Amino acid sequence: MKKSLSLLLGASLLFIMTGCDKKEETQESKMTYKLSTAEVYEQMCAKCHGKNAEGNTEKKGPALNDQTIQELRLGITDIKMGGSGGHSSGTEHEVMEHNMKKIIEKGMDYDTDAMAQYIHDNFNKK
Amino acid sequence: MDKKLFKENLEQIDAYLKQEGISRRDAMKMMGLGGAAMMMGSGIATEAKAASSNAKGKILIVGGGLSGVATAALLMRTLENPDITILEPNPKSVSYQSGQTLVGGGVWTNSDIEYMTADFMPDGVKWIQEKAVEFDPEKNTVKTDKGQTIPYDYMIVAAGLKLDFARLEGLGITESITSRGDSSAVKKIIGQNGLCSIYFGDGATDTWTQMQKFVADAKSGKKVKGIFTDPDTPIKCGGAPKKIMYLTDARLREAGARENAELTLYPNGGKLFGVPEYNDAMVKQFATRDMKYNYNHNLISVDPAAKIATFKKHWLEKGEWDDVLEEYEMVPASEKVEVPYDFMHITPPQMAPEEIASSPIGSDKGWVPVTQETLQHVKYPNVFAVGDVAALPMGKTGGSARKQYRVLVENLVAVMEGKKELPAKYDGYTVCPLITSLGTVMLAEFNWTGKPAPSFPLDPTQERWIWWLLKVYALKPMTQYGMLSGRA
Ligand SMILES: Cc1cc2nc3c(=O)[nH]c(=O)nc-3n(C[C@H](O)[C@H](O)[C@H](O)COP(=O)(O)OP(=O)(O)OC[C@H]3O[C@@H](n4cnc5c(N)ncnc54)[C@H](O)[C@@H]3O)c2cc1C
Ligand code: HEC
Repeated sequence: MKKSLSLLLGASLLFIMTGCDKKEETQESKMTYKLSTAEVYEQMCAKCHGKNAEGNTEKKGPALNDQTIQELRLGITDIKMGGSGGHSSGTEHEVMEHNMKKIIEKGMDYDTDAMAQYIHDNFNKK
Repeated sequence: MDKKLFKENLEQIDAYLKQEGISRRDAMKMMGLGGAAMMMGSGIATEAKAASSNAKGKILIVGGGLSGVATAALLMRTLENPDITILEPNPKSVSYQSGQTLVGGGVWTNSDIEYMTADFMPDGVKWIQEKAVEFDPEKNTVKTDKGQTIPYDYMIVAAGLKLDFARLEGLGITESITSRGDSSAVKKIIGQNGLCSIYFGDGATDTWTQMQKFVADAKSGKKVKGIFTDPDTPIKCGGAPKKIMYLTDARLREAGARENAELTLYPNGGKLFGVPEYNDAMVKQFATRDMKYNYNHNLISVDPAAKIATFKKHWLEKGEWDDVLEEYEMVPASEKVEVPYDFMHITPPQMAPEEIASSPIGSDKGWVPVTQETLQHVKYPNVFAVGDVAALPMGKTGGSARKQYRVLVENLVAVMEGKKELPAKYDGYTVCPLITSLGTVMLAEFNWTGKPAPSFPLDPTQERWIWWLLKVYALKPMTQYGMLSGRA
C-alpha cells in the first residue's frame, strides 16, 4: 500500500467528516398531491374509519379519534413505509398497508403529517 | 477540493482497494489516521455549537448506555452548573453493541467490544448503580430497585430496549434480558446445538462457535440448512438479521463449502428493506449469492432438541367486494409452518423495558411517546427520551442516537431556560452499514422521507471496500471516544 494513497484517504475522510454537519442542499422536489387532505379523508378514510374517525365496525376500521397526534403520525408513517424499522420486520397493519397501496394507486396520495394533523384537529375526542 | 473531483477521488480509491486488496495492518494504520481525522472533524463542528448556558436544575438520566452517557457528556460541557445523575445498573453498559455482528462472524472477539462504564462516565456526573423501577412524573420522582426515591427537575429516558426470547414457545425462557446485561436466563439454550443470536453479548460469541460447526459440517460434505429470522416487533439495527446471514454466506464460501448449504431468511415483513432503492440493491445481492428468502414468516416456537422452527406464515385473502376501494376487501389468514434447521440465527422480539412501558411515561405499545422532531415527551414537558426506548418511526440504531442526543440537549437546555420554542429538530436520520461480505459494506443511510440520505457523494446502493474499512476500523473509535464523550 502506497503511503501517498493512505494519506489521500485520510485527508478525504477528514474532508467528508468535517463537511458532514453541513446541510446538503438536496434537490428534494416538493411533493404535490392531487387532492387536499380533507378530500382524501372524506372520500377514502371516512368510509372505513367513520365520518368523525369514530370507527366503523362493519368495515372493521378502528376508531382514530382516540389517538394522540404523535400516535397518528407514527401509525400512518409505519403503514406507508411498511414497518418502523425501515427493514424486513413488517408491521401489524397488513390490511391497512394493502389499502394504502390501493388508495395511492387511485391517485389519492397525501402527506402523512398533514393527515395526522387533520384527523387530530377535527375529530379528537379530548 | 470541489465536489466532483472529490467524488472521482473516492471512486478511484474504492476501485483501487478492491482490486489490490489491502493488508490488515495497512488498513489499521490508514483508518487510524482517517478515524482520528473523522473524530476531530465532527468534534470541531460540535464543540463550536455547544453554547454554554447557566440554566440550573437537577437532571436525572435513566439508563447509562450509549445514548445516556453521550447525552450526559454533552450536557456537562454545555451547562455551567451541571447537576446530573445517571441510573444504570450494568457496570459494562457502554460496551460496543454494533460490534456484536462482527463477533458473531468471527472477525472480532468479545474483548474487542467490551468496555467498562466507569471509564466512560463523564467527570462530575453522579452515577447510581441501580435500576429505576417506578416512575411518578406528576411528583417528578423515580424509585429504584434498592428503594431510593430520586427527585428530579428534568428527566431523560435512555433505557434502551429488552430482548423478549420468552415470547417464543418451546425454549423454556421466562425472562427478558438486555443486550449487555446478565444473559444467564437465555444462554443455556440460545448459543447451543445450532441455535444462536448475536443480539446479546455471550450470544454473539456463541454464534461464532455455532457458525464454525455449521461451516465444518458443510465442508465435510453434509447438506445443511441455515435459517435466519426477523420478528414482528421493531428491532434495533434492522440490518443485523441480514448482516449475520451475509457473514455466514461469506464464511461458507471461504471454506469452499457454499454449495452444500442452503441459506434462507424468514422475515415477518414483505420486503428486505423499507427504502425501495436499498431494497432493490439487496434483492440483487441475495440473488448473486444464492441466498433465499420467504417473506411473511414470523417465528413463534422452536423445538431445540429436534431442531425444528415453527413460523406463523401470514397472507391476505380476497374477501367481499369493497365499493370504497373498488377492490376486493382483504382478510388476514395464517397457518403454521414447520422448518427443520441445522443452524438458526434468531433475532428476538424486542420491547421497551417492562417497568417503563407500564408506567405513566410509557404507552400502549411500550415505547416512550415523544414528539418525533423534538424528543420531548408528549405529556410531560420536563421529560425527554432518546435512543432505542423512544417511540420514533424507523431506526433504532447508534447512528440515529448520534443525531438525537445533540437535538435533545439543545431542546432540554431551551426548556431549562424557560424558552417556549424548542430550537432543534431531528429528521429521522439513521444509518445501517450493511455488511454484505468479509470486505464489503453497503452504507445505507436514510431518514423519514423514506429516501436514501447519503453523507457522501457516492452511489449509496453500491457495496464498497471503503465502507467495510469504515465499519471495521473507524466506527468503533468514533463511537467509543467521539460519541460517548459528547464530541461526535
Ligand atoms: C447485534 C447488534 C448490532 C447492531 N448494529 C448496529 C450498527 O451497525 N449500527 C448502529 O448504529 N447501531 C447498531 N446497533 C444498535 C445500537 O447498539 C443501539 O441502537 C444503541 O446501543 C442504543 O443506545 P441506547 O442508549 O438507546 O441503548 P443501550 O445502549 O442498550 O443502553 C440502555 C441502557 O439502559 C439501561 N437500563 C434499562 N432499563 C433501565 C432501568 N429501568 N433503569 C436504569 N437503567 C436501565 C440498560 O442497562 C442499558 O445499559 C446494534 C445492536 C445490536 C444488538
Ligand atoms: C377499505 C377500508 C379502509 C380504508 C379506505 C382506510 N382504512 Fe385505515 N384501516 C382499515 C382497517 C381494517 C384497519 C385495521 C387493520 C390494520 O391495521 O391493518 C385500519 C387501520 C388503520 C390505522 C391503524 C390504527 C391503529 O390501530 O393504530 C390507521 C392509522 C389508519 N387505518 C389510517 C387510515 C387513513 C389515514 C386512511 C385514509 C387515507 C384509511 N385508514 C383508509 C381500513 C381502512
